[in-house]
Amino acid sequence: MSTASLEASDAVGVAESVRARRATAAEVTERALARIAARDHALNCFTAVLADRARREAAAVDAAVARGEDPGPLAGVPIAVKNLFDVEGLTTLAGSRINAEHPPAARDAACVAALHRAGAVLLGALNMDEYAFGFTTQNTHYGPTRNPHDRDRVAGGSSGGSGAAVAAGLVPLTLGSDTNGSIRVPAALCGVFGFKPTYGRVSRRGAALFAGSFDHVGPLARSTRDLAAAFDVLQGPDAADPAASRRPADPVRHVLGQGIAGLRIAAVGEHFARGGEPEALAAVAEVARALGARETVTLPEPHRARAAAAIMTSAEGAQLHLTDLRRRPDDFDPMTRDRFLAGALLPAVAYVAAQRFRAWYRAAVRRLFDHVDVLLAPTTPFPAPRIGQERIMVAGEEVPARTTLGLYTQPLSFIGLPVISVPMARAPGLLPLGVQLVAAPFREAVLLRVAAHLEAEGVVSARIA
Amino acid sequence: MSYPALDPSEARAYAERAAAAIGLPLSAEQMPAVAQQLAMLLAAAALVLDFPLPEDSEAAPVFEP
Repeated sequence: MSTASLEASDAVGVAESVRARRATAAEVTERALARIAARDHALNCFTAVLADRARREAAAVDAAVARGEDPGPLAGVPIAVKNLFDVEGLTTLAGSRINAEHPPAARDAACVAALHRAGAVLLGALNMDEYAFGFTTQNTHYGPTRNPHDRDRVAGGSSGGSGAAVAAGLVPLTLGSDTNGSIRVPAALCGVFGFKPTYGRVSRRGAALFAGSFDHVGPLARSTRDLAAAFDVLQGPDAADPAASRRPADPVRHVLGQGIAGLRIAAVGEHFARGGEPEALAAVAEVARALGARETVTLPEPHRARAAAAIMTSAEGAQLHLTDLRRRPDDFDPMTRDRFLAGALLPAVAYVAAQRFRAWYRAAVRRLFDHVDVLLAPTTPFPAPRIGQERIMVAGEEVPARTTLGLYTQPLSFIGLPVISVPMARAPGLLPLGVQLVAAPFREAVLLRVAAHLEAEGVVSARIA
Repeated sequence: MSYPALDPSEARAYAERAAAAIGLPLSAEQMPAVAQQLAMLLAAAALVLDFPLPEDSEAAPVFEP
């Protein structure tokens, strides 16, 4: 396989080449390492590059191919993971300076191990907001991750390294985590696909928690079929994660060509149709048109859902880090410290009310899914802000540039709904934007069908810088 | 009855007391920003506490004895 076609290939394409002996995992790995060496200094996606491990894993894949064994569905695919996932022998930073004092992880996180078993080759760990508390990956300790489409702009966060590494073509597949939008926001701002499966669908064992009530793990990639291939490797029960669902895995790869016939699709109005730039709202209209979706529905109390998500996130995150907040607050990133400190001071009644509201909201949204299969909403209200930008004008109103990025993502992850952020195919020169496809819990398959249809129609596509 | 949103000085007074109650040292330098964040969180809390939940609406954290 030619160098150019390998570089342009998605993860499934790479695996097909390696499995068919058109390329070796070793050469794919060397090319990815060379891209990282050439380009990452300008982007700051990686906090660790694991060349030795990558070469070892690639050699093992090539040996399996040579022996005629099945090297796995992701054979030889270069991957990298947000640095809150345990990687054997590497200290799990979770974006912090404090955790840099921790000993190296004894073994891989469940999701990292699953990708390894499928033949993927781990190239390194990726930058993020400290303890995942942010939407922009402006990490004071390790520097900001830059958007590959405009290096003066943020990559989104908190899985910013995961979004930018795919958008820059450094690796075709990464892992991120999403509590309030941390997979979907960087996917949208970097112009790649981001997939937050149902809460509990992918094990979080070996992932540093942020707000355990809605911490999710999922992939970012440059195609729908890559999301499906990764999801099939990742999904399923795990007794070691107390929030993991006991549902057996429900493979989705075979659904991609099924089309959208029979699916009831509607845009979400009100909260999700205001407070954003016209181009972000127009993206939803364009996707709705492409899908023949004419109906608009409303979610009940989404602004309260966002408020409740903020309360639970702040309180759970603050409690998790309370010992360090008391003993060494100056070692926190100034970008997160004040928010963690404030979260520690919330009255208990607010937290319990947020938890009870969450159950009410879940029941109300479930009723909506009785007559709709897929909902459409913007991913972010605007494209990537500039690095260091505090305020932004949106629809004639000045708002905080960082927290407002979660306006449309927070009310959905709050109740664990599966969501894919699809990247709009936009004219060169325009910054990337995403649209969220949302389904009822455990209906990931319908999201992948819709995403695959939009991709085939040319309405959405990953943009690689 | 709706829950009040605190003004900056009230939020600061609350933050000082609440931080003392859990042994959280807050420097004079940190206080304005923390009080501002707390005021925003308490405004969010007011929004949630104001919502008339039915009594049988029960929290759903994961816990299995």
